[in-house]
Amino acid sequence: MNFWTPIPQLLSSGITIGAIYALVALGFVTITRASQIINFAQGEFVMLGGVITFFLLKGSNLPYPLSALIAMTVVVMIGFLLQLLVIYPLRKASVLILIMATLGASIFLSSTSGMLFGTLPKTLPPFSGEEPLQIWGVTILPQSIWVLGTTFLLLIVLYLLSHRTLLGKAMEASSTDPLGADLLGISRNLMVFLAFGVSAGIGAIAGILITPIFFTSYNSGTLLGLKGFIAAVLGGWGKNSGAILGGFALGIVESLSMAFIPSGYKDAVAFAILLLILYFRPKGILGSPFIDSRRW
Amino acid sequence: MVKSNQKEFRKRDFFYLVPLWLLSLIVPDADDLYSYRSKEFKRRELYYLGALLLLPLIWPDPHLHHLMVLAGIYAILALGLSLFLGYAGQISLGHAAFFGIGTYTTAILTTRYAFPPFLAFWASAFVAAIVAYLIGRPILKLKGYFLALATLGFGEIFLVIVSESQSLTGGVIGIFGIPWFSIGGFSFDTYLKQYYLTWGVLLGLFLFSKNLVRSKLGRALLAVASGEDAAASIGINVAQVKIGVFVTSAAFAGFAGSLFACIMSTANPEAFGLNLSVLIVMMVILGGMGNLYGPVFGSVLLTYLMDILSRYQEWSLPIYGVILILLLIFFPDGIGTRLGIRLIYLIGYWAKKKKRDEGKP
Repeated sequence: MNFWTPIPQLLSSGITIGAIYALVALGFVTITRASQIINFAQGEFVMLGGVITFFLLKGSNLPYPLSALIAMTVVVMIGFLLQLLVIYPLRKASVLILIMATLGASIFLSSTSGMLFGTLPKTLPPFSGEEPLQIWGVTILPQSIWVLGTTFLLLIVLYLLSHRTLLGKAMEASSTDPLGADLLGISRNLMVFLAFGVSAGIGAIAGILITPIFFTSYNSGTLLGLKGFIAAVLGGWGKNSGAILGGFALGIVESLSMAFIPSGYKDAVAFAILLLILYFRPKGILGSPFIDSRRW
Repeated sequence: MVKSNQKEFRKRDFFYLVPLWLLSLIVPDADDLYSYRSKEFKRRELYYLGALLLLPLIWPDPHLHHLMVLAGIYAILALGLSLFLGYAGQISLGHAAFFGIGTYTTAILTTRYAFPPFLAFWASAFVAAIVAYLIGRPILKLKGYFLALATLGFGEIFLVIVSESQSLTGGVIGIFGIPWFSIGGFSFDTYLKQYYLTWGVLLGLFLFSKNLVRSKLGRALLAVASGEDAAASIGINVAQVKIGVFVTSAAFAGFAGSLFACIMSTANPEAFGLNLSVLIVMMVILGGMGNLYGPVFGSVLLTYLMDILSRYQEWSLPIYGVILILLLIFFPDGIGTRLGIRLIYLIGYWAKKKKRDEGKP
């Protein structure tokens, strides 16, 4: 077998998983744009989106779109609750305390989901048909097209939300200059609250999109969350475009790496990329609005 | 009506105050015990030491001995981390990896190359320190969230390497049959002997850190924690200080890992995940940052908490998460810190509240 034969196939699967990383990274960026907090429980939103949809679809026999919608609503509620019960009481705490609290929330969410919905890996039926498409000799699942399309759509919605509405401007203001935003009458807590909701919603959509392709189990959220974070740092911390670029770049590099090294080392590749990017260019590929102001 | 209300208040006061008061007697308070001026051992410290020596003798329960051995190992880890986290103010979520490096070094050296455990003990700390130096050079220039993430990434890479390189580490299955710790033919084969071994090592490292934090490096650590620019402007080489304390704390983790290997007699990658790193950081936070008694106390407390929680099986992790968040919300500075003073505030608050209630028509 030729060395180059699997490359296009790996590329296509890399683009699919890259879209998911991009969505998780968008979740991180949404919260950071409002409050400079990094939510380490972001990956659990993704996991919960997939697992709750599965539970509603198989357990309660609800139609697919309805169960996806309910799952999204539930996850958004969980995001709101997370902000109210964990982040709000700790709004004046140090970075370390916030990291530990969100990690604690992540432990709680993943183990509770394992307890309620079972620890077996779950999968959903694809949105439209299982017949793989053949394009130039590359097999593409229809679900991959769904993933890409939804990512693109969400990106447009988020762009409009953050650049064309007063709410988005207010969110950005409360992150870049909290005191100034306070003086203008923008409630910082409300902005963080809304950002957690939006971020949880994005996470849930990512979870629903990914579950038909990859198995989702109660403990798969942590790794997905970390890789999304790596994607956000890689592309440029705090930028929507950076999150998208970083997500696709990470997905493609990780997928292509499987042609060169044993697949067990796949997870190490992402973290090696993280260490390299943090060392050589902490601003990320596109540069970051938050990092220039700090000394590194 | 009013009278019954008052009675209720009194009962509740009593209910809260007695355990808090008892806790403030036992729990070491950072501000009280460790100040810059205290050079000698205080009487209270001798009490702690005596209690530690006598505890396993007056309470001959093997389960308790085993728990205390585990707590001692975690205390060594947390002590090392508290130098890095509490004194130098840097965040590390990858300390479980150094612990794992220590464990695997001892496991491989004793089972493959028949090293005596005592030599492997020092080799573990040495290997962990070298790895920390190599890792620390690039990543210690990061701060805050990004340092946390980089160390976390290092921990994950360590896990992947350990579970994939099967010829060296035995992969997911791990290494079995590590011999007991022994010095000159004396083997530490019971829980009681292991207890004295672990806490003896801890005591030695504790005295080392106690002297370290009062040395020039220790002062430099505090300066770096309070402001890196200011520290650099008074002539402290910030990068060198940070790498020094990182290597020291990794060596502590290596010692702890070596003891862990000899006592558990197995090495398995599952034990060194993110959860362990979170647990160690929690021990340092709960004990109180920036003092040396805190991590020891925090590790004993959390080891017992984990043991109690393990009885609830599948409920244990959700409860653990909730307790973790609650402790962080209510005791962000550590449980023991200024407990006595906080008690006085609490009493004052209740007294005021009572007065307010009486003033109402």
